Amino acid sequence: MLSDFIKALRSSNVTVSTAESIDANKVLATVGIENKLLLKHALSMALAKGIDDKKNFNKCFDLFFDQNMRLDETKDHDRQLSVESEDEHTKAADVLNSLEGETLLSILESDDQIALQQLLAAAVQDVQLQNIRIFTQRGVYMRRILEKIGIDTVDERLYTPTDNDDAEKSDFETLKNLKASLIEDVANIVDKNLLLYTANGANNLRQEILQKTPLARIEVRDFKVMKQLVSKLAKKLTSIHSRRRRKAKRGYLDVRQTIRKNIQYDGIMFDTIWKRVQIDRPKVIAICDVSGSVSQVARFLLLFLYSVSEIIPKVRSFAFSNVLGEVTELFENNSAEVALAETIKKWGSGSTDYGGALSELERVVGHEIDHRTTVLILGDARSNYGDPGHLALRRIHNRAKKVIWLNPEPRSFWDTGDSEMQKLGACCDRVEPCRTLNHLERIISDIARTAA
Amino acid sequence: MPKLSKLSSEEVINSAKKELEGHGYIASDEIATALYLAQALIKPILIEGPPGVGKTELAIATSKLLGKPLIRLQCYEGLDESKALYEWKYGKQLLYTQVLKEKLSDILEDAGDLSQAVEKLHAFDDVFFSEDFVEPRPLLKALWEKNGAVLLIDEIDKSDQEFEAFLLEILQDYQISIPEIGTVRAKVPPVVFLTSNNTREIGDALKRRCLHLYIPFPEHKLEQKIIRTQMPDVPQSLSKQIVNFVQSLRGMDLKKLPSISETLDWTRALVLLNATELEPHLVRSTLNLLLKFQDDIEHTNPEVPTLIRNAIKDS
Repeated sequence: MLSDFIKALRSSNVTVSTAESIDANKVLATVGIENKLLLKHALSMALAKGIDDKKNFNKCFDLFFDQNMRLDETKDHDRQLSVESEDEHTKAADVLNSLEGETLLSILESDDQIALQQLLAAAVQDVQLQNIRIFTQRGVYMRRILEKIGIDTVDERLYTPTDNDDAEKSDFETLKNLKASLIEDVANIVDKNLLLYTANGANNLRQEILQKTPLARIEVRDFKVMKQLVSKLAKKLTSIHSRRRRKAKRGYLDVRQTIRKNIQYDGIMFDTIWKRVQIDRPKVIAICDVSGSVSQVARFLLLFLYSVSEIIPKVRSFAFSNVLGEVTELFENNSAEVALAETIKKWGSGSTDYGGALSELERVVGHEIDHRTTVLILGDARSNYGDPGHLALRRIHNRAKKVIWLNPEPRSFWDTGDSEMQKLGACCDRVEPCRTLNHLERIISDIARTAA
Repeated sequence: MPKLSKLSSEEVINSAKKELEGHGYIASDEIATALYLAQALIKPILIEGPPGVGKTELAIATSKLLGKPLIRLQCYEGLDESKALYEWKYGKQLLYTQVLKEKLSDILEDAGDLSQAVEKLHAFDDVFFSEDFVEPRPLLKALWEKNGAVLLIDEIDKSDQEFEAFLLEILQDYQISIPEIGTVRAKVPPVVFLTSNNTREIGDALKRRCLHLYIPFPEHKLEQKIIRTQMPDVPQSLSKQIVNFVQSLRGMDLKKLPSISETLDWTRALVLLNATELEPHLVRSTLNLLLKFQDDIEHTNPEVPTLIRNAIKDS
């Protein structure tokens, strides 16, 4: 029962580790189940470890125990929660067997609600309703539960021709009504479980698919989810890499180590040890092609770069199609949507000119590029048969720590038509296709690892 | 399964609540439950919540309740083990080497050759790195305390991630490894409180080892009770109005919402000014006790008469 609850919790986005579920068992053993409020407080302390988690926990707890307590109350012979996960499956089968004598028919006719609930609960356990995943399974599970409790006996009775006795007929009607309400009950149970165990399923599925979808093909309606995803990924990367970035600190005398080290010299301190903190200020210069085809991907790259500004503190961004312009400030001062729209409006109209853009870049920030600078270029390298600008890129490459080229086209498209990937790629340290959010994450993570 | 009957756990929780009240701390059900579980399962409690809702106070009240000393470790960026765990008494160690040098000739007097002398030296107890020369810092102190202690690790979110990782051993097994001495284990595990203001996300490994208690802003009744316990001489009607006023402030869009400690400060001020009822003039001149940002004060000022009217109406 508790493991079912934890399963339900996990599906509503509360992460519960194994150790925590062991704790929850201990908590359960300590406080007992009679006081629901107490149990709720206690379990929430062991299982939900954050403000958002607590909210989800409360929702889940109410839903779960509302249902199960009600079923449990009818089972007066075993009210205890089975804490040690004894085999509930066999127990359910036992209940089903023991009730075999009384058929569903007789239960319905005698209007024995307790027995009915008992039967339902057992059937729910027997078909393992907690494994329900998506809403299309509703029908299947409903059917299975109904079969388990022996709906066929009712059907048999209903559809067997009988004498046209009036008394029989009214009996017939009542039975029909009873069956309808029974089916409604089962539907309710299934719906509740669906809600409980799949609260987040659809959302998770959508996010998973979006991560794998080529960025250029993402629809406008998914932008909101994408934004959440991007910031989620950025947060993940930040927490992984933020340790690497240390603020510059003047070294100071490490008294402890100095004394320890100098004990061998009779405590005369001539070998001093200094505490030193690494100084590392990585810089990233990002250049995005924002002309038609690439702009979709550029949008996410720029968004991403700004979300990870905590790990990569100095990002300067440029956008170009035929003219190059800096968009760093635009992004800092505006919300992402406004900045993106503005960028594309201002720079995205011309036809791409890589040669012009790269030499312009060299002119504007060339003197700033040094051995700590990573240059990140996003573009399809399609220069409309003009100058690809590989000479300027070569000079930039010679000064920079790293030049990384991200191409939103798949590798097989490179060097076809006016794509100059071969010439430009030769001046880069790394050339990667960058088509989905997953690619983007991997690349940024690499940059953070090597640059920061 | 050790089966404690439900009565006992509920009773214990209720009595804990009462006793905390005796020490001037009004606990909600959640807080009392957390305290009970922490002792029953021997686990640390990680307390989160907005500033000023009594996270630190809870640890202080608990130490009074249990009659155990409170050992407090304030976290900050750059806190390391020499400040949190232990430090060698260097001065003493240096003196010891001096003394040793003088005595050395006495000890090695009858040693024939070098190897004998070394053997003799080995037989000699090595006290240089021993407990005599250890200066215990809060964490070690808490472990060494014979009858147990209440250990408060305050504002864990301010410390570095490295320090967080370093705490894991203590929080899980109530033991700590000192390279030169060995593992120090607590005879009586201390009751550990960690508090966090959520300036950064606490690591999962740490969270996993703790019970998690979130203390929100208090509810209406609880806040009144807190005022009455802390300041018994405040007139009932005034305390009601104060609570109403503060609660409605919390519903507004402010940079920093007033918490219990601010409510208490404000109440104290109003009592000092001999107020029996909230008045716009009085409230305006004391608003800076409740709100800590000029923006917030300016934002609230025009609303004051309405807020007061509502507060008086509801009480």
